[in-house]
Amino acid sequence: MSTVQQASLLGGRALREALRTPDSSIPTLLIPLFFLVVNVGQAGKIFPSSSTSFLEGQSYAAFQLPSSLLLAASFGTAALYLVEDIEGGYFDKLRAAPVSRSALVLGRLMAEAAKSVVITAILVVLALPFGISIASGPLGFLLLLVLTSLWGVVFAGFMQLIALKTRSAAATNSGGLVFFPLLFLTPNFVPRELLTRPMELAATFNPVTYVMEALRSLILRDLAWAPLARGFAVLAVLGAVMLALNVRLIRSYD
Amino acid sequence: MPREPGSKVSATVESPPPTIPAMELAVEAEGLVKQYRGRGGTVDAVRGVDLRVGVGEVFGFLGPNGAGKSTTVRMLTTLMSVTSGTARVTGIDVMADPDAARRRIGVALQEAGLDPRQTGRELLVLQARLFGSSAAQAAARAQDLLELVDLVDAADRRIKGYSGGMKRRLDLASALVHEPEVLFLDEPTTGLDPASRLTVWEEMRRINARGTTVFLTTQYLEEADQLCDRLAIIDGGLIVREGTPAELKAELRQRRGLHVDPTLDEVFLDATGRTRERLAGEVREVSA
Ligand SMILES: Nc1ncnc2c1ncn2[C@@H]1O[C@H](COP(=O)(O)OP(=O)(O)OP(=O)(O)O)[C@@H](O)[C@H]1O
Ligand SMILES: [Mg+2]
Repeated sequence: MSTVQQASLLGGRALREALRTPDSSIPTLLIPLFFLVVNVGQAGKIFPSSSTSFLEGQSYAAFQLPSSLLLAASFGTAALYLVEDIEGGYFDKLRAAPVSRSALVLGRLMAEAAKSVVITAILVVLALPFGISIASGPLGFLLLLVLTSLWGVVFAGFMQLIALKTRSAAATNSGGLVFFPLLFLTPNFVPRELLTRPMELAATFNPVTYVMEALRSLILRDLAWAPLARGFAVLAVLGAVMLALNVRLIRSYD
Repeated sequence: MPREPGSKVSATVESPPPTIPAMELAVEAEGLVKQYRGRGGTVDAVRGVDLRVGVGEVFGFLGPNGAGKSTTVRMLTTLMSVTSGTARVTGIDVMADPDAARRRIGVALQEAGLDPRQTGRELLVLQARLFGSSAAQAAARAQDLLELVDLVDAADRRIKGYSGGMKRRLDLASALVHEPEVLFLDEPTTGLDPASRLTVWEEMRRINARGTTVFLTTQYLEEADQLCDRLAIIDGGLIVREGTPAELKAELRQRRGLHVDPTLDEVFLDATGRTRERLAGEVREVSA
């Protein structure tokens, strides 16, 4: 059995787990929607679509949607379930099976990808009443799902590292708080060129900026390859680092 | 606090008993050492353990709390790195080829490691599939095992609602999905009521009767006496006694000049430097 097959068996179990704890997915939907409503409610009037060029004719909600999608993909519940497995001893049972060590960490990430796709799609549908349309069409929507769920996988993967290292729910939870700087040191209210200099600098160094800009380009404009390439490149680099660290950590797990 | 463990007493002939030729060893450890390194310094949990368990034996591994039983089991079952020494199961070096070792061994750890959100059947099917079974094979195997451990009625309920005894039995079943040659059980009966304990004993005997070697740790000396062909007592990370229950009793009887065989409890207390007299003395000192 290949590593991918083993990982999908484990991923299937992780999805089953998520389906059986639906309450844990509710905040993942509600909180990003809440932020969308609040942010648009507060700043929507400053940026009327008729006179705000960076909105490309859409509503401010369309500009805000990527932040909400990324927020939904950054809950990292997968890592908390992993801590539960470790604390409850089930992780040892899985480790006692002759499966590749990488499969043990990849399974949950595969489940996370699937979960992110579903949640992102639901959020986009729920956001349609705000007058949002995906300007890049069906292919753009597909790319939007892929980008967002790749970010979800990368974030969950880094959280998983904390879980494997500390084996503590408290530490893993606090580790998840990095999503605050990651999501807010971005051009989430206005485009990068309108940020103050220090903020612009911070956003430039923040990888999430490029994912957000790629998502935004898909919603506001026709397919634009430059921001997409930057978004995917950032995710590829982060993903490679995340995977390498996960594999290293699980190989030496004691 | 470090105690002075009793010196190693070989109850039989020196070195491996001739009844176990080298080729037929199910478990073999030489100079096994485990040091835990943490913020609070290092803990020498296992300090050089040699073990030889023959194929088909039920081998008891006894020792007081913190003696190093679980640590040894975790090293033998590839779940924990070995600081130094070697360990082989069915001739396979657990560090050199852990996956091959995993295919030959089943393990139920001290804390039954189960996933509360799956049903008993799902857990067994997943475990069987991780050991390489097809979906159909896994389903059939899960059904057989559920019957073996008498969990058919609860099979499709979430494990969250299982009693302690049911969890233990499911854990035991999950260690058997791939028909292992050697079964490691770390305190499989701790916390069970007398009836459930007897059920687990029966299952162990049945599994052993089919040729599976059983490596069993326990706190219950009566259990060891009933079930084990041979046993070893570990204390402070070192093996302090090894032999059949009868040999160990005979040795103590001879050494003490007793008229009747001592119980295994007495052998245990003697081996771990905790004689009844000394315990009584300590109690008196404290109360004085
Ligand atoms: N992860 C760990 N980190 C540090 N020390 C540990 C760790 N696990 C066990 N120890 C220590 O190693 C020693 C042996 O522990 P172990 O769990 O192997 O004992 P045991 O014989 O199984 O005891 P019990 O009968 O209580 O289950 C103990 O002193 C214990 O405190
Ligand atoms: Mg133990």
